[in-house]
Amino acid sequence: MDSEIAGTKPLTERKPEYRTASGIVVDRVYGPAPDGGPTDADRLGEPGAYPFARGIQATMYRGKLWTMRQYAGFGSARQTNERFHFLLSQGQTGLSTAFDLPTQIGYDADHSLARGEVGRVGVSISSLRDMEQLFDGIPLDRVTTSMTINAPAAVLLAMYMVTGEKQGVPPEKLAGTIQNDILKEYVARGTYIFPPQPSMRLITDVISYCAKHLPRFNTISISGYHMREAGSTAVQEVAFTLANARAYVDAVLGAGLDVDAFAPRLSFFFNAHNDFFEEAAKFRAARRMWARMMRDEYGAADPRSWQMRFHTQTGGSTLTAQQPDNNVVRVTLQALAAVLGGTQSLHTNARDEALGLPSEEAARIALRTQQIIAHESGAANTVDPLGGSYYVEALTDEIERQALAYMEQIEQMGGAVAAIEQGFMQREIQRAAYETQLAIEQGQQIVVGVNAYTLEDEAAQSVLRVGGDELEQAAQTGLQELRAGRVAQRVAASLQALSAAAAGEANLMPVIVDAVRAYCTLGEICDALRAVFGEYRPGHF
Amino acid sequence: MSGPIRVLVAKPGLDGHDRGALVVAQGLRDAGMEVVYTGLRQSAEQIVRAALDEDVDCIGLSSLSGAHMALFPAVLDELRREGGDDILVVGGGVIPPEDAQELRKMGLAAVFTPGSPIRDMAEFIQSNVRRLSRPPATPPLAIDHVGIAVENISDALVFYERQLGCQVESREDIPAQKVRVALLRVGEAHIELLEPLGDDSPVAKFLRARGPGMHHLAYLVDDVAAWLARAKADGLRVLDDEPRPGAGRRLVGFVHPKSASGVLTEYCQAVDDH
Repeated sequence: MDSEIAGTKPLTERKPEYRTASGIVVDRVYGPAPDGGPTDADRLGEPGAYPFARGIQATMYRGKLWTMRQYAGFGSARQTNERFHFLLSQGQTGLSTAFDLPTQIGYDADHSLARGEVGRVGVSISSLRDMEQLFDGIPLDRVTTSMTINAPAAVLLAMYMVTGEKQGVPPEKLAGTIQNDILKEYVARGTYIFPPQPSMRLITDVISYCAKHLPRFNTISISGYHMREAGSTAVQEVAFTLANARAYVDAVLGAGLDVDAFAPRLSFFFNAHNDFFEEAAKFRAARRMWARMMRDEYGAADPRSWQMRFHTQTGGSTLTAQQPDNNVVRVTLQALAAVLGGTQSLHTNARDEALGLPSEEAARIALRTQQIIAHESGAANTVDPLGGSYYVEALTDEIERQALAYMEQIEQMGGAVAAIEQGFMQREIQRAAYETQLAIEQGQQIVVGVNAYTLEDEAAQSVLRVGGDELEQAAQTGLQELRAGRVAQRVAASLQALSAAAAGEANLMPVIVDAVRAYCTLGEICDALRAVFGEYRPGHF
Repeated sequence: MSGPIRVLVAKPGLDGHDRGALVVAQGLRDAGMEVVYTGLRQSAEQIVRAALDEDVDCIGLSSLSGAHMALFPAVLDELRREGGDDILVVGGGVIPPEDAQELRKMGLAAVFTPGSPIRDMAEFIQSNVRRLSRPPATPPLAIDHVGIAVENISDALVFYERQLGCQVESREDIPAQKVRVALLRVGEAHIELLEPLGDDSPVAKFLRARGPGMHHLAYLVDDVAAWLARAKADGLRVLDDEPRPGAGRRLVGFVHPKSASGVLTEYCQAVDDH
């Protein structure tokens, strides 16, 4: 110590420069903000109060733990129904439904483009009958259900609503979330159907309808998750998500709703990656940015409109196929960052997701990880335990600053829809993804088990197998029976009414609900809309 | 065909996860290849049509939805139907090892799973694309000779002279190659016995690794220099950039066994007598 002070022994460090995963330069040590800078009262406030940097509730997890909501779905509606019952029996507190790709893109399971994809990445739902099976024995007034569905979100929400009706649960008692976020599909996830303008109309129709009929439903889950998985940085994740959020708010305001009539039901969905402090700071920054935007820019008066409620999922793209047990550790760190960042619900990935769908054992460990954080780590005992950390507060400020600069750039391009149409977000994400790949290949970024600490011979892992020819056959037969058993005139009339409404300007939800009641299939409903709206064809960036 | 290797990166099926496809496309471009990306949701027919239209050497298929066992073979089948089966096809995604093995049996050249460096993919494509030009106007004129590596020419001649009754036509030392050669005529062709001159002779190395036996096969061609140039342009591994003098008043050049079905291959032409 004395020699360092005297300057006789130089301070040596392992690297010339330290940066977060998003490229923010990290100083050797952090201290109090300089005099004249923002005060803690401005930038933090109290938990449960504007600008909500410290959390949206005063008591946070002392009042209620986050919802442990594991994303699940594969194969047929019956198979997923069994997994739902299993998860609920294991102490999971909310359901989260994964749909297969044909469902997400509005094709029935017997469509030629569905070949090979039925039941693979989620459950296959072609009609109300499948939805009834999916929630068989699960009282919809006693669970909250999240549905990862975007382009055809209106149709799946209508199916859920009618399933509730048949169980005797009125729409106003249904609670849950539909993802319903089409913009990020164009940017990253790829399950779009219609072009941006009619897609935005469907979304505003759902938001307006729910404001009246499903007041407990989160009408949209504005998602940074998939953009992050596609390779974005944490800063881009925040910036692009909030830019998309602004586009939705503008669209609904344009449809004539008052901001406080719908903003409280907007929700968000973020990723949790490996850079622990940056991730925790990211959630705090995003929450503060939303509060400022809604109160100061949009003039929302209801404090619930200022509160960013979000779901978090740990980062799928951080998981490695090599030495997959290491993924349990990664998921634990990511989940802890989400909890310290104040998430409202959480999905923890299973260790084998770089290899295939989670096995039951891996799914259980993933849920247990959350339970250990909740009940053993002590992290839930106080509100915002990282608040006031010099480093975390500096990162929170810096993420906000950089994300605001991005959002400003997007505004100048004409907003999120225009930026997406010009390929701006896509290019930025692609560039970041490629830089990450190069950093890994050149060894500047260490991934344990992949480019360092590797094993010569790794034991083969068994993976869960779903889908396949039998399932496709069964789905085809089921659809034939369904179509044969319907009242043909009622089906035709519903679809005609839908086409007419799509060509006009009225809210589409009532006619979609009617078509669902008539057991029109998802494919039939989406085809009717395709005929009016057209299909999105991306340019190449 | 010459110029950069051309690759079509394709997303069959409905999967929208294209981070891997885009990163690989960029990486292969940086490795000097020309890359065309199809975009999402391509049918087997669309992919094969694009591959043929774009005249690619390699197709890279990407799927992370678990549908690879239905989607990848469909592309291979369509490629065979359309006569594009000289195109190298590789795949990537979340693909279990058993499936990868099965796909390789079906004709997929390689499967790259999460964590694979782009460098490995580029190297694999470079050394496996079948970039052959049109067949030459004149195929080889004859088998000129078969080279046989021996420890000692005198001992070997017991078989060739006494048993087969062949005559030694000429003997010659080629110091540049550190090899002693005896040529025996068999009809229009020759047997070329090769004995090492010194331990660092290439033939000595061959004998240490493989023992005595067939060493190379030589084709008589019209113009060795042109044949070597074609081989290089097609990406074959050649051992001689230019023709050099060989035994029996010939100009010769060699192609590595790795590029010639496991046989060290010599092109040779007779040198004019004046």
